[in-house]
Amino acid sequence: MGLKHIALAGLMLLPVSVGAQPSINNPGPSAPGDWTIYPGSYNSQRHSPLKQITPANAHLLQVKWVHHISGSRELEMTPVVKDGVMYIAQYNRVDAIDARSGNVIWRYQRPPASTAAYRGTSVYDNKVFIATTDAHLVALDARSGGVVWDVAVDGGRRLSGMGPFLAKDKLIVGVLDQPDGYIQAYDPKTGKHLWTWHAIPRPEDPEYKSWSGNTKEGGGAIWMSGSFDPEQNAIIWGTGQPNPPYSNEVREGDNLYSDSIVAIDVDTGKLKWHFQTTPHDQHDWDATSGSQVLVDTNYQGKPRKLLLHADRNGFFYMLDRSNGKFLRGNSFIDDMNWASGLSPEGRPILLGDGAKPSVKGTLTCPSTAGATNWPSATYSPVTGWLYFHAVEGCGVNFRSSITPGAGTSYIESPDEQHRWVSHIRAMDPLTGKRMWDLTEVRSNHYGPGLMSTASGLLFAPEHFGQAAMLDARTGKRLWHFNTGDYITASPITYILDGRQYFAIASGTNIFTFGLPDAAPAAGGKP
Amino acid sequence: MRALAILIFIATPALAQQQQVTQGKALYDQHCTACHGANAGAGERAPAIVSAATSMRGARSDAQLMAIIRNGIPGTAMPAWNNRLSDSDIASIGAFIRALRGTALDNPLPGDVAHGEAVFWGKGQCATCHAISGRGSVIGPDLGNIAADRKVTAISDALTKPEHRVYGDGGVHLPAPPPMDYEPVHVVTKNGLAIDGVMRNQDAWSVQFTGMDGKLYSFDRAQLRSVTIKPGGIMPTDYDKRLSADEFKDLLAFLTRQGMRPGPSSGGGE
Repeated sequence: MGLKHIALAGLMLLPVSVGAQPSINNPGPSAPGDWTIYPGSYNSQRHSPLKQITPANAHLLQVKWVHHISGSRELEMTPVVKDGVMYIAQYNRVDAIDARSGNVIWRYQRPPASTAAYRGTSVYDNKVFIATTDAHLVALDARSGGVVWDVAVDGGRRLSGMGPFLAKDKLIVGVLDQPDGYIQAYDPKTGKHLWTWHAIPRPEDPEYKSWSGNTKEGGGAIWMSGSFDPEQNAIIWGTGQPNPPYSNEVREGDNLYSDSIVAIDVDTGKLKWHFQTTPHDQHDWDATSGSQVLVDTNYQGKPRKLLLHADRNGFFYMLDRSNGKFLRGNSFIDDMNWASGLSPEGRPILLGDGAKPSVKGTLTCPSTAGATNWPSATYSPVTGWLYFHAVEGCGVNFRSSITPGAGTSYIESPDEQHRWVSHIRAMDPLTGKRMWDLTEVRSNHYGPGLMSTASGLLFAPEHFGQAAMLDARTGKRLWHFNTGDYITASPITYILDGRQYFAIASGTNIFTFGLPDAAPAAGGKP
Repeated sequence: MRALAILIFIATPALAQQQQVTQGKALYDQHCTACHGANAGAGERAPAIVSAATSMRGARSDAQLMAIIRNGIPGTAMPAWNNRLSDSDIASIGAFIRALRGTALDNPLPGDVAHGEAVFWGKGQCATCHAISGRGSVIGPDLGNIAADRKVTAISDALTKPEHRVYGDGGVHLPAPPPMDYEPVHVVTKNGLAIDGVMRNQDAWSVQFTGMDGKLYSFDRAQLRSVTIKPGGIMPTDYDKRLSADEFKDLLAFLTRQGMRPGPSSGGGE
């Protein structure tokens, strides 16, 4: 009995209530026990149908194995799992690990070793895909780590650390902001370049007007994965800030398509719609945060196709993802001083000059580090709530002189009342109502990502290293384990031999958690 | 005369290089081994210059190494050699170290590469166990980058010497090589299924191996009746006999060219 058969045999013992209907709320591509792309599923809900570990038995969780990634630092990477093998990707390197034991199956290392932030990969068609620091895209044989193909990136620029995302038989990758961010698609079979979509307009494009003709420092970095909507045949992605980041007086206008959520036709690379969260940004508030969450649910009495997005600028946005139209939004933090709210079109209503950075320093709430950032949000169809990592507090943004385009920087506010404090927040996206709020102790920064399960769990690690399991309904802490290092990555869950595991990167290690071998699972079934 | 002159012109650099390496080895043995050990693999008083285990290998460029030999490292036991040895002697030591550090890709063997490739996929039956660029089998190590990972001698030994080990050949290694020893294994599960394969990894509780069907198997030992490591390897080591001299030479010419050199890094990360 091969690995796959064992895994399937295990699955049959699970309550089979999920995965049957291909809807946006459960659209693949991962099988229920696998996690094969960065967000696990195309909809980025980071919600697993697995039910074996529950609020009733989560207190029994224990470490099953730890894998150390020698030479790494502060991993921001989400592992992927397929057929009992975990793939841990970085620039130039993949570790394939037996998901049962943590034993190495193979390792690929192309010199030089790199510690630049890298967030994941996709497993597809027996291949694993990574970017290299010398601007190549490589497909490895998932069974052996052998190179299947190795191509130079079209345009010659190094791909960003978001990791290749697989959507409709296309590998989606991106590049950073200088001179301009863009999204590309490649053929996963051959590595052939298929299309490129540029976030920053060329002089002949109508959007060029939105920059008062000054795009020379670019922007629109593509550094985080988004989602895929098979019904619309579109990827839905976030873009980064305009440049220079803090001196918006040298680029009058909205600066399209910086700080935007964009829907791109996956076959042609053409823009279908866009929604800009922070027009004319002066705080480096990328729209790339870890939530481009696709949900189909009833809103105001009608079934709607929604996009839920908690932004770095402190606002939550709910869009109609068939056309990008703003439906509703709200500030999801208490400490906000740059805007008073959102217009009916979803445009921030500035307070004064919108907390413009100054020579003496401008208190800015939220800070440039963001009210939330790349760590993933999760949506639970069980509760109907969105859960995300929120940071209260402010920054101080400085500029070196009043000369247009002058250099700038930001710090955490030194005022005790404005220091950064991390929260795990549950919010009803249809009303903006805060359902519960958990203040983290010590953690004050980007924080880890979250995920939820059909059994009612919220895996909500804390930045200072605690892997923690909460009751998704109440926010009650059920279990915790100190991993001993910072956690700034997002978690996953998978199943092997009928047993459910959770995994997350902490510092330079991957931790995997599960129930004790002898422990009865939910309902007494394995 | 003209033809002969051209011949000498072509032949000289390689020959001169080889002589320089030979001289360099003699000089190294005389002046350097006491601290750095034989073949620059670490001694009692100084680090390895060529080793899988230390940061010296690969972390210093050739130019940096030559500068260190010439000028020493102030504040350490490493003396400056530029006033003890001639420039040409220092260059010879450098050439020797370069040769030690180099992999097959740096020193590919001569031969008919296209014919060697035909032998690889044909008479040699290498693809029964090995793959290159996604073609072939995953039972044995992927050979797509073998020439960048190993030295010529390691590749040649693997084809001809039964005692050859897959790892431990002094070539360029991964930072921490996984213990993939590809030992042949016979596994019987508790429900009586027998599977043959090659080991990828194991611990006291679990076993991972690639079956001869090319599939990865991972078992909890509690699921197994027996795990038997079979003596010897499955890799034939008589290719110098089962192939003709030309076929063997050309196969080596092909294998010592399988690999790539990464380009320089570009750009930053966020």
